[in-house]
This record gives sequence, structure tokens and C-alpha cells, in this order.
Amino acid sequence: MGYLIQILAMTLAGLTALVLLFTLYMALTSPIPFLYNIRSVFVRWRATLATIAGIALVVGVYVSVQAMAVGLEKSSQNTGDPRNVMIVRKGSTAESSSQVTREQFKFINYLPQIARDDKGQPLISADVVVLLSLPRKENGGEANVLLRGVSPIGMNLRPQVALVEGRWFTPGRREVVVSRRLAARFANFAVGDKFKTGGKELTVSGVMDGANTAFDSEIWMDADESRALFDRENYSSVLLRVDDPAAGKVLIDRIESDKRLPLRALPEVDYYNSQTKTAGPIKFIGYFLAMAMSVGAIFAAMNTMYASVGARTREIGTLRVLGYRRLPILASFLIEGAFLSFAGGVLGCLLSFVMHGYSIGTMSLQSYSETVFQFRITPGLVAQGLIFSVIVGIWGSLLPAIRAARLPVIVALKSL
Amino acid sequence: MAEANIVTVRKLSKIYRQGDINVTALNQISLDIKTGEILTLMGPSGSGKTTLLHIIAGIDRPTSGECRVQDIDVTRLNESQLADWRNQNVGFVFQTFNLIPVLTAYENVELPLLLTRLGRKQRRHQVNTALELVGLGDRSHHLPRQLSGGQEQRVAIARALVTSPSLVVADEPTGNLDSHSAQEVLSILQSLSQSAGKTVIMVTHDPKAAAFGSRSIHLEKGELTN
Amino acid sequence: MTIGSFILKNALRNKRRATLSVLSVAVSLFLLVTLLVALRELTIPPEDAGAALRVVVRSRISLANPLPARQRPIIERIPGVEAVSPFTWFGGNFKNEEGMTFAQFAMDPKLLRPIFGEAKMPEDQYEAFEKDQRSCILGKLTAEKYKLKVGDRITLASTIYPATLEFRIAGIYSGTIDDRNLLFHHKYFDEATGDLGQVGTWWVKVRSAEDMPRVTTAINAAFANSSSEVRAETERAFQLSFISMLGNVKLLVASISTVVVFTLILVTASTMSMAIRERFRELAVLKALGFRRRELFAFILAESFGLAVTGAVLGAGGAYFLYNYGNISKMTNGIFITFEVTPKIVGIAILVATGLGIVASIAPSISVARTSVVDGLKTLD
Repeated sequence: MGYLIQILAMTLAGLTALVLLFTLYMALTSPIPFLYNIRSVFVRWRATLATIAGIALVVGVYVSVQAMAVGLEKSSQNTGDPRNVMIVRKGSTAESSSQVTREQFKFINYLPQIARDDKGQPLISADVVVLLSLPRKENGGEANVLLRGVSPIGMNLRPQVALVEGRWFTPGRREVVVSRRLAARFANFAVGDKFKTGGKELTVSGVMDGANTAFDSEIWMDADESRALFDRENYSSVLLRVDDPAAGKVLIDRIESDKRLPLRALPEVDYYNSQTKTAGPIKFIGYFLAMAMSVGAIFAAMNTMYASVGARTREIGTLRVLGYRRLPILASFLIEGAFLSFAGGVLGCLLSFVMHGYSIGTMSLQSYSETVFQFRITPGLVAQGLIFSVIVGIWGSLLPAIRAARLPVIVALKSL
Repeated sequence: MAEANIVTVRKLSKIYRQGDINVTALNQISLDIKTGEILTLMGPSGSGKTTLLHIIAGIDRPTSGECRVQDIDVTRLNESQLADWRNQNVGFVFQTFNLIPVLTAYENVELPLLLTRLGRKQRRHQVNTALELVGLGDRSHHLPRQLSGGQEQRVAIARALVTSPSLVVADEPTGNLDSHSAQEVLSILQSLSQSAGKTVIMVTHDPKAAAFGSRSIHLEKGELTN
Repeated sequence: MTIGSFILKNALRNKRRATLSVLSVAVSLFLLVTLLVALRELTIPPEDAGAALRVVVRSRISLANPLPARQRPIIERIPGVEAVSPFTWFGGNFKNEEGMTFAQFAMDPKLLRPIFGEAKMPEDQYEAFEKDQRSCILGKLTAEKYKLKVGDRITLASTIYPATLEFRIAGIYSGTIDDRNLLFHHKYFDEATGDLGQVGTWWVKVRSAEDMPRVTTAINAAFANSSSEVRAETERAFQLSFISMLGNVKLLVASISTVVVFTLILVTASTMSMAIRERFRELAVLKALGFRRRELFAFILAESFGLAVTGAVLGAGGAYFLYNYGNISKMTNGIFITFEVTPKIVGIAILVATGLGIVASIAPSISVARTSVVDGLKTLD
């Protein structure tokens, strides 16, 4: 069954490519002036406009939904420093479900590949990650927020994060710094606010900005304080800096090859690159909607093009009498359909730009905490949207175009 | 000899099937048309005159018989060959003008030339010459709906002439025109034959139009009557 | 000939266009129903029969935070509580499969019937499960998906705990709203993880519905100001709490549905307007024959309605049969479970189709009213 669908999809893609190539070739070589098609499109402007708008909305929805997936991936991919190595428990898929014991941390601490700062301190930090269920700003529901207990070195290892309001937390105090993006979404996240979690009260001392990285979806507090507060004996993850990639590789190999250490070491960048699972279902929704809506759009384009062919039957006859062959006439209507929906595609991409940069949040399927990201419309997405619109146009106009090309000259001429 | 007869029609028949009945549109017609003459085809509706015109012009096919135009048997050409042949050898003028409404007069006239290998400059030259010839040099950027009926038909004539075909066929060219415009159109067709040596075949109902021709042929029930 | 048959004949005159119109309505309504059903399932998760008498107890910090095992006797002593079972999410990875597979929970097998009564198995399987500490039971859907049967062994590596467990399948249950989970002995879990003394959640069976509010309040109060504060709530409230976690997704699906409906109305209305505009000549003829405007409007409306309703019956009806009689859980790989097309959703679809019929007839009606007989007779398309 799945195999059959695959074959069908590939045949369809192949056919589309063929028709597309043919149309493109004819568009470049056809004797029928392109202007003729463009002007004809706008003669029946009401139906044409409805079709263009329909295709625009289909493309707009597709591009917007995909822009979410891209935004989510981008925020993950923005995160991390190429010089950093992340260590989590083997088998865990995210920091929030990882554990590193104190003995393991001590062992890692003595690895010679770790870079040191000017004072000779090794650049290594063990973090604690705790999920807190906290109330949202609007309509009362709760969602998980990722709290990171971080050491001063851990903060230095993440230079993307900058304080934008208030001050950093004081070690030994129950203070947190929340990200600006989360502050917009959760209750009591303004500087000076207090909120309770599991009977413990925390004070917001500052607001930070993660520069569109995964840190935009975190709140930070002092590592030791958070371990005491949430009764954590172990750490969640270890982040360290190496001097150069070669040293990083040695360190990773050293940890991975040690059978006694149930740990996984990988470049921080790679770790965050793998945290994009949530984008999967979003992409799926995008494809599903695009598929379903494009069927409707193809019907619409088909109707418009059939009407167009019907209204211009006599013009087609005249062209044939003047010596035009069937193929250019076929191509002419294909080009017209492609142009029509391309216009829709352009409009759709413009529409989707309204969403660009807009912030949304949902539960990550890996960390199970609220992850905030922005709609990101990239040139690649715009290209996808435009290609998609042209495909809709070509499939929608293929049958009407064939009908136009097959009209017998005499019948076409006699038509009213 | 070839100069004498541009069109030779031999035993041409056309039978349509309409449901269960066969309708004979043309019955064993033989006809010669001389180069440079203006031949008018007359007859009542359904007499087969338009069918004969269409076969000579290569847009319809006979059931049997032969139709040679300049020594080419048009009944034997295939669809694509016919298209090219029409483009190079025949100019069409319709009763309903059949201009493309979204194209200007200039662009309408240019349309047949786009199928040739002519460059842009040469096309412009030919289009302008044709438009001058029909007296519409100043209207080249008007759309059909901005022109009067007579002007539209003159544009159509220019379009028929622009490829310099040896044969111009006209199907009731004055049928949709007032008498003044009809007069203009007919004089243009006449001058084509007299000064440019073109052969013109014209189907008409109008005896006044027929008077412009050098020869007139009557059809009735698919047969020549005179 | 009656007016009715005249309308029908007319509507079917251009079969291609009528078909295209009906199909585009059908596709759009199918999509609309699908989105509405998905939205409903996201916001109102399906409920088990026994849920009304179950309370879920979790850490006040978050669901991810463990609870101490010592809380169990305290909860058991609360009046109105019939049974308490630990319920710990194992987060196991089966065959290293990416994406959704199925969830596994460590619990107390003796309390399977008292607390999760709707999970039905043959008697011998209950016994086998209780007896063998390394056994598990598996939902029917998962068993079918992976072609597993009683007696098979499966191995799961946890993504949360440093443990990999091997189970013998003692039974395959069915009868819950979502027959996919794997349940196993909490003792086995404790052994494998080194007796942490922790559980994920407590699931509590309450004696009667009247006891519910009192019991939840009592559980919450029992651990207030302790180092492990809890949140006790009905299973329903617990399920609903996940919706809030979805964040903007709900709003997003809702707004996409709106855009889809709008696109649908736009495109379909224009398509149908075109189909009706084709009748202009007939309409002009009818006008010439003495039909009044009112009758012509009725004529247009009837045709527009006919197209919309036929499309709606095809699209919404198709969705109804596919989702209510097809195995949606299998089709979506378990993302959606019941995917029920409710009467309300059918009602919305009918409403949209009706609106569509009216909207699509507006433009042609105006044109007909404006156009004189003579102009109408001249209309080409």
C-alpha cells in the first residue's frame, strides 16, 4: 500500500516535471505573445481574482505553517557554541530527562582537553534542569517551563544570553532570571514578581534575552541553589569548552569509549540540532493542508481555465486559421494557468510575511517544556510556495488546455 | 500555365453526417480560379459556398476529390503542414472580423508574422506597411473595441495581407458592416487584386459586393449553377 | 416537464462544470470537517469510562518531578479512597523507533482491576501478569501494530532512567479508550533503577462521585507545606491540563480552519457563480417568456443550493464515514484516537454549505436583475 502510494507520488512528480519543462520550453519559444495570455487573464477579472485569491490563501497557509517549522529549527540551530561539548546520560533524548552523577562530573572535570580561563579555572559547568508547571498569563492554564540551574562558568559558556532588564540572580538566593519571550507568556514573570512552585517561592530578579536561541525558552537560577531547592542529588548535563576541534574529538572519544561511563558526549551545536523533533508534526500539518487545499485550488483553476477556453473558442479558431499549430495553443493555456496561479503564489507569500517574526510557543516533544520560537519565512520557503503555486496552475490548466488544442478549426470558428 | 490558374478544384465532394442522414454540402465540383482575379461565390444559405471556401483555404477537408493550390494538393497535407501552409499562402478575412480583443491593432496584424523567422524590425516594417495599405497607420495602438466595425475589418484585412499570401479568402467580409464601410473594404480588396496581383475569393450574399468581383459563381445545393 | 426537472436538466447541462463545482465543495467540506474534528480532539481529549472515579496525583512542581513512595499509605488512609497505585512513566524506546510509539507505565498489578476496570483480558492473563514480576501487559493496538502476542519478549531502553528492561508479555488488554499502553510491575522498575523510592504519579480510585471533591482536597491538604507538595485532580482535569501545554497550537488550528473556510467560500462561490452565469441566455429567455425576477432568483438559488448541498453530502458525508467507521487510530499512527464526527460538526458543515449556496447565488442574481432581456440574449458566457 505504502509502496503503491510512493510509486504514484513519483509518477505524479515526474509528470509534473515533464509538463513544467514543456511549458517552460514553450514559454521561451512559443510564437504566441505572452502578453496575449496575461491580458486575457484579466479580461474575466472577477473569476480570475477569486481564483488568484484562493491560490494565494492556499500558498499563504502552506508557507506560514512551514515558516513555523523553520522558525523552530532555526531557534535550535542558532543555539550553541562550536567550541563547546555537551555531555548527557546515554539514552536520554533531552537534558530534561538526563542525569549525570557527581562522581561522573568529578571524573570529567579532570580530563586534560578542557580549556581553561586566564585564572587557570577549567571551563566546565554542570547544570540542573527542572521542569516547573507554571500558570500562563491568559486564560489560566498551566504549562511546563524549563528552569536551568547554572553556574557562573556555565553562563560564560553561553555568551548568546544577555541580561536586558534588572540584575542577574545572586548565588544562594531564591532568585531567577526569566527570558523575555517567556516573560511575555507567563504570569508573574516581571522583574520583582514572586511565584510559587511546589511550596517554594522564587523571585524574578531580571530578564534575559537569548538572541532567538533555545535559551529564549528557559529561566535561569543559581546551580547550587536549584539543586538544594528541588532536592536534586545529580546534575542533568555537563557543558565544557575545549581549545580546538581536535581536542574536542579526543574528549568525546574518551567518554564514549569508556564502558563504565553511561554518558554521551557531543558538540553542543549537534545536541541542539537534534532538538528539532517538534518540527516534524508541524511540517506534517503543513503538507497535509497543502495537499488537501491544493486539490480544491486545482478545481478552481480548472474551472477558470475551462471558462477561459470556452469564452475564447473563436479566438483559438482564428489563431489556428492564421497558421498556429496545436502545441503552441496547448502551451499558451498552460502558461496562462501557470501565470494565474503564480500571481496567486506571489500574493500568498506576501500574505504570509505578515506572520514573519511573530512569536509562538508550544510544548516541545523532547524537553516537554514550553518552547518559544518565531515564524521564519526564508527565501527557500518563498521558492517552495511559488513552485507549489505553479504546479497547481499547471495541473489546473492541463485539461482545459488540451481541450483548447483539440478543438477542430471549423467548430471553433463557428462557435458564437 | 501555372500563372494562369492558381486554384484547381476537381470533383470535390463534401458529405456531412448529421445523425442518421447524410447531408451533401458539395457535390462533385470542378472549378479553376485564375491568378489575380476576384472571384465571388454566391448562393443561398446552405448552398455549400462557405464549405468550398474553407476547403480551398485549408481549414476543412473534402470527402473526396482534389483541390490544388499552386500545384499543392491541400487535401493531402496533414494537420501541421496545413497550418504552416495556411500561414504562408492564405490570408483570411471573416464576417465577424475575429480580432483578438486583448491585442492592439498592431499586435493583431503582427500575429501571423510571429510564426515566421522575421526579425522584430522587419516585422514592424511589414505590419506598418499593411496598416498603411488599409489606411489605419494612425490607429495601430488601438484595441479592437476602440475601433469602428469598418476599421476592425480593415485591420483584419491587414492581418490577412501581412504575410504577403498569394491567396486572400473572405467570408462575407461586408456582412456586418454598414454600406459606407462595406464600400471601403471592397475597394481595398479590389485594389489588392489590381495593383498587387493577389487572388481574392469572396463569399457574399450581397449583389453589390459581387459587382466588385471580376467573376461570380453561383452555388445551389452543393452544385455550380452557371 | 416541471420547473424542478427543468432546474435539474439545466444544472447538469455542463456536466464538467457541475462536477468541478460539486467536487470543490466536497473537498473543502471534507477538509473543514477534518480540521474541526482534529480541533475537538485536541481540546476535548476522549474520556475513559472509569475516569469519573479516578484521581491523578502529581508533583506540584511539574509532572516531570517525582513523588516519594512514602506518600502511598497517607493517601490510602484518606476516607473515600478505595485504591492507590503508583503510575510511573518509563519513557522507553522500542526498537529505537523515532517518533510516537507507545507509552509504558510501572504500576501495581494487583490494582489493575480495581482502578483500571475497563482494560479487559482473559482471566488467566490477569493471573499470569500478577504472578510474574517481569511480565507486562500490552494494549491491543500496540500488539497489532508490532505483531506481538502473549508469550513474546520485548526489551525497552528508558530515555529517562538509566535502565533497560526486558518483559514477557503476559496479556493483551482491550476496552480502554486508547488500547496502546504497556503496563508492568512497579517492583521490577524499582529493582532496575536501584530503589529510588520515587514514583511518577499516584492514580487513586475513589468510592463514589460524591466523594471526588472531598478526596482531592484532602490529598492536596495532606502534603501541603511538605517538601513534596502535590496536585490532586480528577483524571479529566489532568487530561485537560495538557491542552494548555499545547500553547498556540490550538489557536493556530482554529485560525487555519477559518482561513480554509474563507478560501472555500471564495473559490466555490466563484466557481458556482460561473456555472450559473452560463445560464444567462436561458434566464433571459425565461424573462422574455414572462417569468418574474422573483422566480428567476428562486431558480438561481435552487441551482446554487443543489450544487452546494450535493458537495456537502459528498465531502462531509465522506468524512463522517471515513472517521466514524474507519480505524483512525491506525491511520494516524495513534496521534488521534477517536476522531469522532459529532452531530455539532455535521451541523456546522451543513451551515457552511447553506451559506455557500446563498453567497454563490448573490452575484448571478444581481446580474440577472440588472440585465435586460436583450442584453441577456446577447451574452456569450
